[in-house]
Amino acid sequence: MKRHIRFLAVAAALCMLLTACNGGETPAGGTETDGGGNSSLPSAAPPAELDNISGDVVDAGLTCTLTLGNVPPDLAPAAEKALFEGYIAAMNKQYPNVTVVPAYYSYTLSSYVGMARGGTAPNIFQPPFTDPQLLISQELVADVTGALQSIDLLDKFSPSFIELLGSEGRIYGLPRDGYVLGLHLNLNLFEEAGLMTEDGLPMYPKTLQELAEVGRTIREKTGKAGLVFPASETYGGWLFTNIAWNFGATGEYALERVDEDGRWICDLTSEPVVAALEYVKSLRWEYDILNADATTTDWAGAHSALGTGEAAMNFAADDSVAEPTAGKGLAVDKFALAPFPSGPKGSYSLSGGTCFMFSPDTTHDQAVAALGFLKIIGMLPFMDDDVIAGMRAGAAAKRERGAPVLPPIPAWNDEDFIAKQREIAEEYTNVDMRLYDDFFHNILIKAEEPVFAQQLYRELTSAVQRVITREDADVLRALERAQEAFQEYLDDEMNS
Amino acid sequence: MKKNSRRRFGKWRQEASAWLIMLPGIILFAFFLWAPLLQSVRMSLYQTKNIELTNFIGFDNYISVFKKSDFLQALRNTFSYTLWSLLIGFLIPIFMALAIGETVRGKGFIRTASYIPNILPGLAAVLLWSAFFSAEKSGVINILLAKLGIDRMAFLSQEHMVIPIIVLIATWKGAGATALIYMAGLAGVNPELYEAATIDGAGIWKRIRHITLPAIFNLGSTLLILQIISIFQIMYEPMVLTKGGPDNASLSLMLLMWRYAFGGRMEFGKAAAMGVIISLILLVFTGLYTIVNRRKTEWE
Amino acid sequence: MSGARTGVIRDFDSKTAGVKIGLVFVYLVCAVIVLISLFPIFWVFMAGFKDLKEYMSSTAIIPRALDFSRYTKTWNQLNITNNYLNSLYHAAGSVVCALIFNGLLAYGLAILKPRGYKAVSSLVMLSLLLPATISIVPLFMNIQNLKLGGFFIPLWMAAGANAFFVVLFRQFFEAFPPSIIEASRIDGCSPLQTFYKIVMPLSKPICVVVTIYAINGAWSDFLLPYLVLGNGKWQTVMVRLFIFSTQQTINYDDLMRSVVFSMIPPIVLFFLFQKQLTENIVMSGIKG
Repeated sequence: MKRHIRFLAVAAALCMLLTACNGGETPAGGTETDGGGNSSLPSAAPPAELDNISGDVVDAGLTCTLTLGNVPPDLAPAAEKALFEGYIAAMNKQYPNVTVVPAYYSYTLSSYVGMARGGTAPNIFQPPFTDPQLLISQELVADVTGALQSIDLLDKFSPSFIELLGSEGRIYGLPRDGYVLGLHLNLNLFEEAGLMTEDGLPMYPKTLQELAEVGRTIREKTGKAGLVFPASETYGGWLFTNIAWNFGATGEYALERVDEDGRWICDLTSEPVVAALEYVKSLRWEYDILNADATTTDWAGAHSALGTGEAAMNFAADDSVAEPTAGKGLAVDKFALAPFPSGPKGSYSLSGGTCFMFSPDTTHDQAVAALGFLKIIGMLPFMDDDVIAGMRAGAAAKRERGAPVLPPIPAWNDEDFIAKQREIAEEYTNVDMRLYDDFFHNILIKAEEPVFAQQLYRELTSAVQRVITREDADVLRALERAQEAFQEYLDDEMNS
Repeated sequence: MKKNSRRRFGKWRQEASAWLIMLPGIILFAFFLWAPLLQSVRMSLYQTKNIELTNFIGFDNYISVFKKSDFLQALRNTFSYTLWSLLIGFLIPIFMALAIGETVRGKGFIRTASYIPNILPGLAAVLLWSAFFSAEKSGVINILLAKLGIDRMAFLSQEHMVIPIIVLIATWKGAGATALIYMAGLAGVNPELYEAATIDGAGIWKRIRHITLPAIFNLGSTLLILQIISIFQIMYEPMVLTKGGPDNASLSLMLLMWRYAFGGRMEFGKAAAMGVIISLILLVFTGLYTIVNRRKTEWE
Repeated sequence: MSGARTGVIRDFDSKTAGVKIGLVFVYLVCAVIVLISLFPIFWVFMAGFKDLKEYMSSTAIIPRALDFSRYTKTWNQLNITNNYLNSLYHAAGSVVCALIFNGLLAYGLAILKPRGYKAVSSLVMLSLLLPATISIVPLFMNIQNLKLGGFFIPLWMAAGANAFFVVLFRQFFEAFPPSIIEASRIDGCSPLQTFYKIVMPLSKPICVVVTIYAINGAWSDFLLPYLVLGNGKWQTVMVRLFIFSTQQTINYDDLMRSVVFSMIPPIVLFFLFQKQLTENIVMSGIKG
């Protein structure tokens, strides 16, 4: 036991040594705790815009504890963390008897199930649009219809969101934001490859065919990858569905559809899908524009490659523009966002999003308090001074940390709200909007495949991995395997 | 006095107190190991919702698991892991033990150095090696190969390389400790045997063949079966390194089980069925081992 | 460590040229072994000094500057101190449970041997071959149904059901001369008193070994801890690292520094208890 104590002493000494090295510098983010309630104040001051949020008491009678899974992570830039400190301060003023516990939580289904069962899931969390139906059917989220009714929000839901977030007339969540897939560009590499116009705009690819050619030029001129293609786990399939649509896998060739007998079927071996996968295969073996380790590259790896100048293009969405810039170090004026390239038979851009849902033990009071907090952070379509101040603060924080300030993709069916969001984005803009014009004006949005999209992506990812790792891979055979596996899954889950 | 205490420790009372002493441990083993094993069997016969069993469905979970092509692939891969670990994981520690056993100066240091990987957290080791084998610019192996004029390779994207690489990583972590066991076994060989053999005119190679190798293979058979059993349950290495890719080329049975349960499907019944299948295969291995072992002792 | 040769080549082998070349070759092989064992560890410590851009783009193994502030910045931003403390709690409770429960069970199996003990003994041996991971799904359900998720209790208890520790204790206890146990019984000690007055004090060497393994196990384990502790405030270092590696919330440079943080305590532990660890492996023929 004596030795054991010696070990503890050594470990403690080591901790002290490491922290002592820090010297006088206060690190960004201070010492906020991961899950604890009493986080110390971060070094950066909250944006001045927050002062405009009203400190008036909204409801003093509401008494409960609310855990927030939607606060920024430890590694978030100081400005963003300061922003949330400010939001929480406002919440404490407006609802003096609601105890707010910030608990950063990055949702994944695997971690969520245990937390929901064990009662440790935060009251508010943010799953992607692919998961609500599964969570509702497994009774892992709270019904918040009553709370939504109490603040007259039910009629602002657009029908498609009711379908997404509800079941049998009850509502279990709210949309947070949408995203639309596009093409992230690293302009440093475009410049180096001589692919800029005289006006300083990138000659980005408008079609998938051009993408292959532009990628090849970049590879030849700079030696870097033309396109980073995250093809690990489910990402490859996610991106591939968009490519397949633009090759014509829509309508009668839709990847998922209901047949005459009312049975859900998938169609992954149709001519357009085969052509799309042949195209992906050619990116690797004919044009050779992909990054070297595509099959182990994930979402963050792709942003790292683009942000650090190891790749010039990345299929990614408008909601992640902060990743390559503020997150990985690309200067905000060397970044651009273009629409998803069109294919021979279509020019769709995949659109999905994130929602807010609530842990199954959330009470009515907690749900009401949670909606109060979402209102403060500008996530509900109410137009009062508080909300506007909240949106301003958000835009200011983005500008501060070097992330592009862009108008969000609307999540609510409310024109005034959308107009105001646009106006504020313009006011705080820190980018040359010409680099984003096409993305915001020339796209045709298409929602993700309707059922069990994550599972579909997993099977398609396998097929993508096969054709980009084996030059002799049989495209049709790879798709037949995905077809077989996913159809079985659909039969199990939807048709029985 | 003596008689009194004898009576106090009457036979059954003594037994009861012995069981009482073992009880806490038994309860814990039952909770963490034995009951879950039996529950797996029960659960594999049920449909599940959330984490509750809903209705009895017989062998449907097994049928559904068997029918999917990823099961066959995972089974094949798992055997491939096992074979590679026989080639790499079994022989490398033996060579290491032989080489280190011949040294005198620096022996302690060499032994310590080769043992260090064993104490690192497995996850840290896998993350470290994933950075090593990366095909991007930062990949250390590729940097070293480039110095030898060899082209960049995407090791983890090649379906024929990914399993041997994962086995190599596991071996890197475990070989030093295994070598230590062999070295202990070799040090235990009676020195007179070597002297006698030398007097009989046996050279170094002959001594290796007739004294050292038999001593190693005696030890080796036990270590071998333990190694097969542990590599058969390989899971987190491919999970972290390749997520089972490319195209399921490194998917193991255990990883498939994890996917069913926690990989976005929440099919706990099917995951339990996977667990039962893996347990059965391992029981067959263990059975074979005991038979072989018994034969061996009989022959001796 | 005497200077005598204990391998195939013995001191009485004449120092012919062949033998000498052979020895040079042996040392070359050993140099390669040492290099392969240590270089990756050295590399990751060096990689931790790079920022994301340098990590992604530079092919030099030695960083441009040995700037410790990168380490301290990551440490503070991620608040690793908190995770270190959690890992220490996890380890401390695991050690207590591992010593008491496995020790008592092994005591019963090796010394008390009540009627029917062999059944328990073979079940324990079975658990050596079919570890908890295989039935992790029902185990996970049981823990959640008993509302034990979110805190260390199930993890501590799991350390008390470790077949490997039982085997270690049992081997050690079986080597006790029966006369000691008999003497204590004659002195009027109950079996339990015998355990903590006689058996455990005489078992210090094996207790040290089990303690080290239990600490190292608690430090390194992440699958069950991930399912039990999730993203909650008791998250340990390895759970954190596992979440980093599966959910893309961290940059590669910070990830490499986190890997370094997770390796330091086991390395320190190893250098403190190197002798006991290697001796036990030699003695028992099993590794942890």
